[in-house]
Amino acid sequence: MSSNDEVLLRVEHLCQYFKIGPNAYTKAVDDVSFDIKRGEVFGLVGESGCGKTTTGRSIIKLYDITSGSVYFKGIRIAAGKKSYKEAIAKAKADLKEGKIDKAECDRIIAENRAAIKTADHDQKNCDREYSRQQIEKAKSEYLPKIAAAQGENKAKLEAEYKDVMRKARKTKLVTQIQMIFQDPIASLDPRMTVREIIAEGLIIQGERNKKVIDDKVYEMLELVGLVREHASRYPHEFSGGQRQRIGVARSIIMNPELIIADEPVSALDVSVQAQVINLLNDLRDKFGLTIMFIAHDLSVVKYFSDRIGVMYYGKMVELADSDELFLNPMHPYTKSLLSAIPLPDPKYEKARRRITYNPLAAHDYSVDKPSFRELKPGHFVMCNDAEYERYMKELK
Amino acid sequence: MENKLQVRNLRISFRTSNGKVQAVRGIDFDLHKGETLAIVGESGSGKSVTSKAILGILAGNSIVESGEIIYDGRDLLKISEEDFHHIRGDKIAMIFQDPMSSLNPIVRIGKQLTEAMILKGKVRQKESRRLFNTYIKNLSKAMVSAGVDAARAEGSCRNFDKFEFKHVELESAYNMSHDAAIEAIDDAEPLIFELEKKQPSRDASYRIKDIVKRSKMSIHPYVVPESDKQRTSELTSAIPGAFSHAKGDYTKAAALLSELVEILKKGAARPAPNFFRMGYYLTFSGKELPDMPVDKLNDFLKDYLDRDFMIAFIADAMTAIEFSAKESKQKMAEAVEALAKERAVFASEKLDKSACYAAYKSLAEKVKATIDPLEITKDSLTYTFPTSVKSELDTYFTAIKKNAKAVKVYERDKRKYERELASGKKPGWEVADAAVIDLELIKANIARIFDRLDEHYREMIKSFDTRDFKAETIAAIDYLMSNASGVAAKVTRSIAKDRAIKLMDEVGIAEPHKRYNQYPFEFSGGMRQRIVIAIALAANPDILICDEPTTALDVTIQSQILELINKLKEERHLSVIFITHDLGVVANMADNVAVMYAGKIVEYGTSEDIFYRAAHPYTWALLSSMPDLDTNEKLESIPGTPPNMIYPPKGDAFAPRNKYAMQIDFERQPPMFKISETHSAATWLLHPDAPKVEPPKILRDRIERMSRGRNTNNEQQ
Repeated sequence: MSSNDEVLLRVEHLCQYFKIGPNAYTKAVDDVSFDIKRGEVFGLVGESGCGKTTTGRSIIKLYDITSGSVYFKGIRIAAGKKSYKEAIAKAKADLKEGKIDKAECDRIIAENRAAIKTADHDQKNCDREYSRQQIEKAKSEYLPKIAAAQGENKAKLEAEYKDVMRKARKTKLVTQIQMIFQDPIASLDPRMTVREIIAEGLIIQGERNKKVIDDKVYEMLELVGLVREHASRYPHEFSGGQRQRIGVARSIIMNPELIIADEPVSALDVSVQAQVINLLNDLRDKFGLTIMFIAHDLSVVKYFSDRIGVMYYGKMVELADSDELFLNPMHPYTKSLLSAIPLPDPKYEKARRRITYNPLAAHDYSVDKPSFRELKPGHFVMCNDAEYERYMKELK
Repeated sequence: MENKLQVRNLRISFRTSNGKVQAVRGIDFDLHKGETLAIVGESGSGKSVTSKAILGILAGNSIVESGEIIYDGRDLLKISEEDFHHIRGDKIAMIFQDPMSSLNPIVRIGKQLTEAMILKGKVRQKESRRLFNTYIKNLSKAMVSAGVDAARAEGSCRNFDKFEFKHVELESAYNMSHDAAIEAIDDAEPLIFELEKKQPSRDASYRIKDIVKRSKMSIHPYVVPESDKQRTSELTSAIPGAFSHAKGDYTKAAALLSELVEILKKGAARPAPNFFRMGYYLTFSGKELPDMPVDKLNDFLKDYLDRDFMIAFIADAMTAIEFSAKESKQKMAEAVEALAKERAVFASEKLDKSACYAAYKSLAEKVKATIDPLEITKDSLTYTFPTSVKSELDTYFTAIKKNAKAVKVYERDKRKYERELASGKKPGWEVADAAVIDLELIKANIARIFDRLDEHYREMIKSFDTRDFKAETIAAIDYLMSNASGVAAKVTRSIAKDRAIKLMDEVGIAEPHKRYNQYPFEFSGGMRQRIVIAIALAANPDILICDEPTTALDVTIQSQILELINKLKEERHLSVIFITHDLGVVANMADNVAVMYAGKIVEYGTSEDIFYRAAHPYTWALLSSMPDLDTNEKLESIPGTPPNMIYPPKGDAFAPRNKYAMQIDFERQPPMFKISETHSAATWLLHPDAPKVEPPKILRDRIERMSRGRNTNNEQQ
């Protein structure tokens, strides 16, 4: 449904490990790659603990990623170093065993050290890079105008220029990615009024004009279906659905290009769920938002998303257009997941049989390791050679 | 079908600083044995309050205004806290919404699982002994009054007591071995598969230890007999060694395990003798068991038992039961007369306190006398009659005083409101209706209790001739047996641990041995919920109340847990009350569905009635606000929020949010209209004079799609 193919977010070989002991890691996210195109809704599903939320949080830089890179609007915003370090260690080991000569080893080490350096630089300086771009843009826009302007007009332009420059210096690329959290109660500070909660981002970004802030807050409140009077209330005075709306208002006031919605409706009643989903849908139409929708309710994901990625134990096992995924699920885990969806149809439900997924019985990866392959345009599955051929046959 | 739980006219309010919040406003439903009733509604509709009332854990500021919750011959709203300890958790268990807040964070999972088992185990032993003794005593008494020779009656009852315990002892020993064999097989088979795949799980050594332990337990003359004993012990001692020294090559361990499984399977399939007869023989014959195959042995024992004891005992017991039932019938006829006579006292314009209580006392005694001490299923109406009438009377006479006060408060508030209005202010509050207790309603309640009991007695008297006393006698003997086995069942710490680990395995927790010693924070949300379910099931309850057990879980786990609850329901004949707002889950679980809104049941029917032929606009709204896999249109969300129940609306509570609302919806509450035998709904749209209204398009489309989908499915099959 996206009108263009511009890639807004690219995730390459993202790994996020957590240390749980000496030399022991939990691989929360393990080698996940995907693209999100501008204007689409990308759904991420999987059971709890499979790394959906961690993926979302890694993208927004709440964690320092272990390995891989994340590009947002073509700028690398997060980079991990583990893969380079491993390459160096491997080169050294190979040298000892005599598989490669000294020169080769040195070359590999130098290459990877350089890569680590760039990774460090990108990780730290992506915002500065972006801010520099913004400053350049402001300069080129205002300086000629100021030079050309006269008298009162000039003073006004100069003041405006100063304001814009200040904001440009403070701006951060990552603020264009915003997050909506699962629990609307826990994610709002109980001691702040709704106005303070929603305006906080603007203030951090350098907005000082009180009138502008208030206007913006009111606009956002009305946009999400609340009224102006709500601005001076506290979060506890709202119902669950209204609280989630406040969360939405807080994230869209920053004018983001990408929203990561981490199970925004899981904690809500059905009727309220529909309200919030309709709201997100409206906002998406209005602003052309791109949304990464993390959820475990598959009917909602199917209804809301254009493309869906299925995760299992830190790995992406299948990725396809939502209709395609529900029509031709290929990976046994996807099949098992789809067979578990409860539908409001008692006769169907009585007959429904859940397919169980046992990775040990379903795959034989002892010799042939699996990789992420494209079965047909836009439909990717984690499989090895034998399975690839079987899936291709099944698809036809 | 047998009624497990009856809820009648339940009204619950909460006292708050702003006024009285009416959370539940008069609901009725029955829960049958082995049935799942789903209660659906938004948050704040009173679903959880209802379930908490059933479990007797209402908050301190709650007022139960009227109603009965009848379980096992007792009204749960009126029994003491002390009595409730025997019911709560033991007979009626609950799975809560939030698993973290229902587990103790600083106690290990294993302790939390076994604690109740050990405590309840002791209580249950005592309780079973008491029930057994009382029944035997009553039986022997009834035998004597029925004309059986006193010495003979007492003797046979004493004999029964003696050998019944021998029987239970033999049988539980066999059951333990048999269960152990089956469990060992169940544990070993997946392990063999993993070993053959060369990828044993991390807890394989624990599992092997377990299998070995269970295999040793399964040695018993009728399971794994002497001939296999030798080989079994060889295998059990060889397997752990073979596994730990395998170093990646598990073929030997797998082969040994397979052999063990073969022996156990053969053992588990062996026929078992009748331990009831064997118990009698061993107790009274003073001889060893003759050496013969099981079926012949059974016949031999049957002959011995029948000749020596059973036929005479059954005949005596039957005469006693029949006699006692006849006596009770006599008393019932008397009670019916008394009911008709005293009725007038409770129906007068203004009840007279002393006359009422006197009439109540004499009636209560008459009704109590109709109780047949030898009946097994308690007749709930007779048992609850005195408490119900008493509590209604009490409310009536206190209400006379309270009402005057409430009217005064109301008038004061109203004057204040009008003053504010007159002075040009716009008050930010409303005048709550006077909290007057409806005296007529109480009188009607009393009349209803009388009617029900009267009808019940007439029914009992009429059906007396068709009663099958032979079957009742057999049932009585079964009842005695089950109590005897309750006495013999001991729960020690190690048995409790075994059972807890089995339960953890049953609810799908991997590596239960390791998990047993962990703390709740080490578990993920789904795992915690499983623990809560395991704890609820540990006591083997009759009724399971599930308060949104899967709302916080993802689909696969959700569907596993639902399957688990369904499976346990089948196995243990549980009755389940399932509270949720996820209609997909309801379709999966429910036999009957009650849709609640603002403290009332607005629609009630079988799950097919609700999903295919919904009649109430609120049900339509709920159904159409939820996307399914084929939904593409904009979802229809329900506008607005549920009403504030301090000021309950005069008419249909849903009217302000209902786009089909008519004028009458704002003025009068709709009654329950019956649509079919099983289906009823409270909406004026069903009134014959109402305009014809179609459900929303999104819903009609879905129903059509569902029926079409089913038809194509059928054709394919």
